[in-house]
Amino acid sequence: MGTGVDHRGAGLAIDDLRLPAQPAKLRVAREYANRAAAAFGLDADRAYELAFAVNEAVTNAIRHGRPDAHGDIHLSVHAHGDRLTFAVRDYGTFSGYAPIGALDADRGRGFVLMTQVMDAVQLCVGAGNTTVRLSKARV
Amino acid sequence: MGFFYIGDEATVGKSSHGDAIAVMVAGGELDFAASRQLRDRLTERIEAGTRRLILDLSGATFVDSTAIGALVSVATMLNELDGGVLLVVCPDENRRVLRIFEIAGIESLIAIHRSRAEALRELAVAG
Repeated sequence: MGTGVDHRGAGLAIDDLRLPAQPAKLRVAREYANRAAAAFGLDADRAYELAFAVNEAVTNAIRHGRPDAHGDIHLSVHAHGDRLTFAVRDYGTFSGYAPIGALDADRGRGFVLMTQVMDAVQLCVGAGNTTVRLSKARV
Repeated sequence: MGFFYIGDEATVGKSSHGDAIAVMVAGGELDFAASRQLRDRLTERIEAGTRRLILDLSGATFVDSTAIGALVSVATMLNELDGGVLLVVCPDENRRVLRIFEIAGIESLIAIHRSRAEALRELAVAG
C-alpha cells in the first residue's frame, strides 16, 4: 500500500510492449497486464488491481504525456523475486499532478487510486521522459 | 477498443413529488475511451429536463478514474439543480467495481445502491 519508493531496482525485464497512444488501445494494455500478472502467479483480484493501475498510468500518458516518434507509449514487465513491476513510460516532460486528490481532477484521482491498489508506485521524471513503476507482490 | 454500452430505459417510476425518474444503464468497460460518451449521454438527459437519475452499473466490469470523474461531474451538476439527484446502482456481485468506488471515496457525493429497487425506494422515500 502507499507510495513507498523501492530502491532495490525493478529487476529483470521479462517482456515489453509498444502501445499506440490512443484511448482505444487501453483495453490492450489491460489485457497485457492481466496476462502478465496471471503468468507471474498473481491471483485474479491482484491481477485485476494491477490491470486497473496500468490502465490509469497509460491513460495519464495518453492524456498528459507524449508518445515516442512512432506514436507509442512503452510498457515493460519486470520480475524481482515475488514482486512484479510494470513500467509505463512516455516521452513528455512531467508537469506535476496537481491538485492530487482533488475530487474534480481525474488525473489526481487516478494517481491516488493507483497508489491504493498497488503495493508500491514510483514516479521517475527524466529529461524528456516520464516513467511510472507499479509493483505488486505474489501473496 | 473496449466493449461498453450506454442506454436509456423507459421512465420507470415517480418520486413522491410526482417527478419522473429516469433510469439509464451503462456496462462493459468504462474507461477513457468510453467516459466522454458516458458524461455526454447523462448530461443530455439532464438538459432534456431529467432531475432524478438512476444509473445502473450492474453490467460494468471496469470503471476507471475518468468514468468516476464523469459521474462526479454529473452528480455535481444535478446537485446544483433544484431537486436534482444521481443514484448509482452497483450490486454486491460487482465487488471489484464497488471496491474502486470505495477507494475513490465518492460515496459522500454519489449514493451507491446495491439494486435498482433499492435506488427507486430511496427516491420514493426522499421525494
